[in-house]
Amino acid sequence: MASVPTLSRGGDVSVQGTNDDAQISKLSCAKLGYFKDEFIKYFVRRSSRRSPLINRGYFARVLALRGLLEQFFDVVSRLDASEGRQHVAQVLSLGAGFDTTFFNIEAEDRSRARWFEVDFKEVTQRKAAIIAANAPLHEQLGPNAKEKIHPGEGKVQTEALSVLPADLRDVDGVESALLASGFDPQLPTYVLAECVLVYMEAEESTALVRWLGKFLSTAACIVYEQIKPGDAFGRQMLTNLECRGCPLRGLQATPDLAAHQLRFLKNGWQRADAKDMSTIYRAYLDPTEKHRAERLEIFDEFEEWHMIQDHYCLVLAVNDASGVLHDFKFKQKVPIAAVPQFPRAD
Amino acid sequence: MSDLDRWIEQLKRCEPLAEKNVKVLCEKALEVLVEESNVQRVDAPVTICGDIHGQFFDLMELFKVGGECPQTNYLFMGDFVDRGFYSVETFLLLLALKVRYPDRITLIRGNHESRQITQVYGFYDECLRKYGSVNVWRYCTDIFDYLSLSALIDNRIFCVHGGLSPAVSTLDQIRTIDRKQEVPHDGAMCDLLWSDPEDIEGWGLSPRGAGYLFGGDICTNFNHTNKIELICRAHQLVTEGYKWMFNDQLVTVWSAPNYCYRCGNVAAILELDEHLNKSFKVFEAAPQDVRGVPAKKAAPDYFL
Repeated sequence: MASVPTLSRGGDVSVQGTNDDAQISKLSCAKLGYFKDEFIKYFVRRSSRRSPLINRGYFARVLALRGLLEQFFDVVSRLDASEGRQHVAQVLSLGAGFDTTFFNIEAEDRSRARWFEVDFKEVTQRKAAIIAANAPLHEQLGPNAKEKIHPGEGKVQTEALSVLPADLRDVDGVESALLASGFDPQLPTYVLAECVLVYMEAEESTALVRWLGKFLSTAACIVYEQIKPGDAFGRQMLTNLECRGCPLRGLQATPDLAAHQLRFLKNGWQRADAKDMSTIYRAYLDPTEKHRAERLEIFDEFEEWHMIQDHYCLVLAVNDASGVLHDFKFKQKVPIAAVPQFPRAD
Repeated sequence: MSDLDRWIEQLKRCEPLAEKNVKVLCEKALEVLVEESNVQRVDAPVTICGDIHGQFFDLMELFKVGGECPQTNYLFMGDFVDRGFYSVETFLLLLALKVRYPDRITLIRGNHESRQITQVYGFYDECLRKYGSVNVWRYCTDIFDYLSLSALIDNRIFCVHGGLSPAVSTLDQIRTIDRKQEVPHDGAMCDLLWSDPEDIEGWGLSPRGAGYLFGGDICTNFNHTNKIELICRAHQLVTEGYKWMFNDQLVTVWSAPNYCYRCGNVAAILELDEHLNKSFKVFEAAPQDVRGVPAKKAAPDYFL
């Protein structure tokens, strides 16, 4: 979903296109009942029904990421009462694209955080324009919000949500944009990079990780992206995405779970864990929700399902100067051994 | 040159037939298929193929590797349609070959040869896109109901798309099924098209929601009862193209290389000579430049 600029103009547009593709898939899920998202429809021009495999994969990703965000909010809500402030935490979404999580959380009146979304200017311009044009969106931003939305600059600057144009390869630029819009690096911050880092050159994404580790003293960073470029499926994935104009430039440098963990540990983060999405799906999602979703569509893509889920991962890294995040981690919901793995592809 | 030969030439160029010709072809095919048994007898030599899934240019590779029909006899174990970009051309070509050379090619039904599944996995949308109406989808799905459910090669090798059923212990029980219907949600006919072998004992529930998992003991009993030496089936992607199970009493054959243009797997066909000697031919996907994937569809779906 990222829209990290790449070197060529054509590459920029293609990588931005991954944002649109992700939103189409999420709308497909929402329409079929995989999850509730009343806001996604405003961000999709031409909807399209996705295959059950794609729907189920987005469902798993959204459910897993929402679970981690809720867990983070639970942790910081304990600080809420003690300090008596409205927002005691921040969400920083890197390469957020048209992600609607803010609106969904806000509509449920459960946001504990100020939100900061950073993306390529072409994307934030479109996002700001869509928010300005649709009352159900800007009504979530409080009174007179429309005056604080600037589609031309690609900026939204409200108390609850800031949408900022910035180039993630330029960490100084990102930092000053954040600080100028009221971001407080001292507050506990939930950082999300959903299919973002992998499109950048490894040195660029590592610089971003290092800067975050230095900039934020109390933070959790969640990364969702592709892994395993070395096997047949992975090689084909690299080729296909390259053909599409959005090569996974960073994948060779972080080919597996260990490399992802190590990157955080070597760049200023105290701890890091990583799991592939097959494992997350088997044992770390709410079984009731999962069984509900599994009944929504005929599903005949098991071999591929295991293959593709093996090629995506979640990384969870923590910096915890104040000690509030000591229990923030992947929480297992089902014993792994109890879940049959059939059928594997080979 | 007859109409039929012309259509075969046209389809081999991956050009879909006019709707009215599809109608005529399906009428002719019905006359052939209705005569076939649920356990269609096939003589060796024959080359056995697994899932194709609308990967037309990979089917052309298959014919290059295995020989053209009718010079080579073929048995296709279903799943001709869905997933790939050319289900229409793929199925119609195989059907035209069936009508033209009924004793040289055998087509049995896969779980995707179904009205319900094709509406989810692509064939329905493809027909609508290519013809502007669903008539061709209707003609084809009506023909699906007449496809045989299994085949028996020289009384020794039993071929079926999915696998076994707890409702079936003898081939005669399969012969009595009234197959001319949409694939049911349960029962013997459903199981034959949906089941999978698995390293368990006895029967297990299938995560697919249709059919069963069956263990090596079930396979041994079935083969013994029916005096066959091998079950040959398709239905599951195996990344090396074929996979033996249960002490060589069962083999899975998969014939869609780089499945869905995404999986990076190789494919295989199983050649049986007149003495039932087996040899697998493994092949890769047609090169990108001959595959002619429509530009807009060039990228298969991922989570982006």
